[in-house]
Amino acid sequence: MSDKPTAYDVNRRDLLKLWGPAVLAGAALTAIGTGLSARPGRHEPPSPDLIPAPPDWRVDPGAAGKVAIAGGEGPRANLGRAMLAAGGIDAFVNKGDKVAIKPNCAWDRKPAQAANTDPNLIGELVRLCLGAGAASVMVLDNTCHDPARAFKRSGIEEATLAAGGTVAHQKNTGTVTLNLGGAVLGLWEVLEPIANADRLINVPVVKHHSLGRGTLGMKNWFGAIVGGRPSLHQRLDQVCAELGAAFRPTLTVIDATRVLTGGGPTGGSLDLVRDDDLIAVATDPVAVDTWGATLLDFTPAELPYLAIAERLGLGTTDWQSVTTKV
Amino acid sequence: MKLRPRARHLRIVVQTLFVLVFAILFFGLAVDRVPGWVASMLLSLDPLTAVGTALADWTIPAWTWIGLVILAATAFLGRFFCGWICPLGTLQQFMSWIAGPERRKRNKINRYRRWFSLKYIILTVILVWAALGADHAGWLDPIPLLHRAVAGGLRPLWFGGMTTGGWLSFGMVAAILLLSAWMPRFYCRAVCPLGAMLGVVARLAPFRIRRTTDGSCSGCTLCLMACQGADEPLADHRVSECHVCLNCLDSCADESLHYGLPLPTVTTPTPSLDVGRRRFLVTALATAAVAPVIRATSGGKTRAADAIRPPGALDEAGFLSRCITCGACSASCPTNVIISDLGSTGIEGLFTPVLDMRRGWCEPSCIRCGEVCPTEALTVLTPEVKQAIGGPAEVRIGTVFLDRGRCLPWAMATPCIVCEEMCPTSPKAIWLEPAQVRTREGRTIDVQQPLIDPELCTGCGLCENRCPVGEEAAIRVSSVGESRDPKNRMLTTIRSV
Repeated sequence: MSDKPTAYDVNRRDLLKLWGPAVLAGAALTAIGTGLSARPGRHEPPSPDLIPAPPDWRVDPGAAGKVAIAGGEGPRANLGRAMLAAGGIDAFVNKGDKVAIKPNCAWDRKPAQAANTDPNLIGELVRLCLGAGAASVMVLDNTCHDPARAFKRSGIEEATLAAGGTVAHQKNTGTVTLNLGGAVLGLWEVLEPIANADRLINVPVVKHHSLGRGTLGMKNWFGAIVGGRPSLHQRLDQVCAELGAAFRPTLTVIDATRVLTGGGPTGGSLDLVRDDDLIAVATDPVAVDTWGATLLDFTPAELPYLAIAERLGLGTTDWQSVTTKV
Repeated sequence: MKLRPRARHLRIVVQTLFVLVFAILFFGLAVDRVPGWVASMLLSLDPLTAVGTALADWTIPAWTWIGLVILAATAFLGRFFCGWICPLGTLQQFMSWIAGPERRKRNKINRYRRWFSLKYIILTVILVWAALGADHAGWLDPIPLLHRAVAGGLRPLWFGGMTTGGWLSFGMVAAILLLSAWMPRFYCRAVCPLGAMLGVVARLAPFRIRRTTDGSCSGCTLCLMACQGADEPLADHRVSECHVCLNCLDSCADESLHYGLPLPTVTTPTPSLDVGRRRFLVTALATAAVAPVIRATSGGKTRAADAIRPPGALDEAGFLSRCITCGACSASCPTNVIISDLGSTGIEGLFTPVLDMRRGWCEPSCIRCGEVCPTEALTVLTPEVKQAIGGPAEVRIGTVFLDRGRCLPWAMATPCIVCEEMCPTSPKAIWLEPAQVRTREGRTIDVQQPLIDPELCTGCGLCENRCPVGEEAAIRVSSVGESRDPKNRMLTTIRSV
């Protein structure tokens, strides 16, 4: 035993080599442990309070809403006259704005079947926006049928591209989570170009609907959100009004060029289609939906979401008082 | 002969203690008086639990930080966890003591072999996979593996029945013990990912087995015969393989070995891990390429509808990033409803807990599984949030659906009200509608036909458990409506804002 060395004879360098790595490893583990300990996991959903609400796309939220209706000269001319009566496109679209247009382009149907918004109307609207100096105009929808087919068959893709705009749908664009802030609608995925647009124009078509009886502007926002939409139909009236409260568009343009009077919202047979040749341009989404309801022979009471929307302060159901016909 | 006290005797006492601690805590899982975090303490002690969850979910939940203390201590002392604490290591050591290779063969079987580096490959796969969001360390990590094997393989001997997933885990442990009769601690040497991780860290340890080079060592190989880790105490000591069992010190006839800091005459280079940089990178890249494919086989929409997770489970992505498949929840369940999954949640869900309502049900006021979960993959609840007294429950695990073709009052003109009778929510989620049905003989009899209020149903499964229709019940729970997944809903409800 006595001939075995027992004393440590190390210099500073050896000492560091001996203890340094272990001490550094211990320090690193302590730091990582302290940083990560009891922290919420990355997979845990963030608090709803931290999720932003959708922006307000209106030009002048304080101004009283108006409706302008034009008819009889085809969708392009009708839109031009109604827009002029509503204040002109320059009052709503500024130079450099990113404009998003939300048509009803949900179905693999031809324009004549009146299940989708008229393509000529969309094309003309894109032209007007670009003419007012918009930096970009995107026409987009979360369709019910296959989006590639719906955009093609409806003619909306062709009309938009010809007018200088672009199209997008749920399969080729992303989403952002927004807090829609309703009693039914909480956090929802919203098509990203809509959430990031400077101006938003809602362009529904007047249609019969098997559940809602009529589908107009507020129902059209179903195409702006992505997720478990089918179960929303259990409380459709409340949901439509809440969508109207979450999405405050720059303009609502209602297409009543053709009105689908039955078999909605998909339609199909041309016997169900009535040619009304009317276009309404509005800054009051409740009034213009109420007017659209009259085309389907509904009183406001028969579409309960209108009353809920009015109660939420989105506009008036007394549409005649704010409407000018040109 | 008088037994001289040696270092290894202390080790044997400590090892025995930890096997006892494992057994006591395991039984404690099912005893409400034992705090949940105490009952699962051995799982929190496991360093791979902390590292796996840290990589997969960027968090170190609950008490798992203790594993990092073990890991830090390993950087000083070496793999003492393997040699002194790990109960599966102890059981293997015991197995090879009573049934292992005979003494003469031991210096051959205890030599280091290059293929022992397989465990580093396994560790690489597990850690890369965890970094991609799915923590599967528990499949092979000995601490969760042992818990799961006992929960699924031994516990059924006194409570509940065997499941395929359960006996598979038990079979793994049985195979590990049998292999250790051929080669001592075969699993620790070649497979164990926890041992591999501790081995990497142990390379830093200033305290290690050191052999003097003063010529006193006669090269007798007695140390090799006693060696558990196959870490070559006689040659260039492989500190990454050494379990610090200290057998070699006690066996050395020349007193040429010591455990501690270096003596002046000692030079101990640390041999490499035998996993080249290229193999490491290829393993990591291959894992990164394969992981998304495996993810596609499970989770989300492809999960089977009857794969019900325990109450308080995180959403599926979060759950898979936290669950170490230790089976503590199933061992804690008073109705034995939680089983080790095999197939219904895909490859990624292998051995994760799911509920089988024919074995048991989710007791309304019981929150034990969340209390014992070491990684909070199941969050700790209060009984009130899952009871549905006076209105819909905040935490629901699913919704029950009635199969009218199998239901006695609906299809067989036979009175039965068991599901409604058992329904524990208040008001009851199952209600009865009086009806008159005609029997085959033309008699009209009164029955009460059950109907379901999906807003009130918590998915507890007591109705399915008690349904007199055998095998496939006439009323069955599906995962739709589970509160953990906002996408798996059928009802649109007014929120309380």
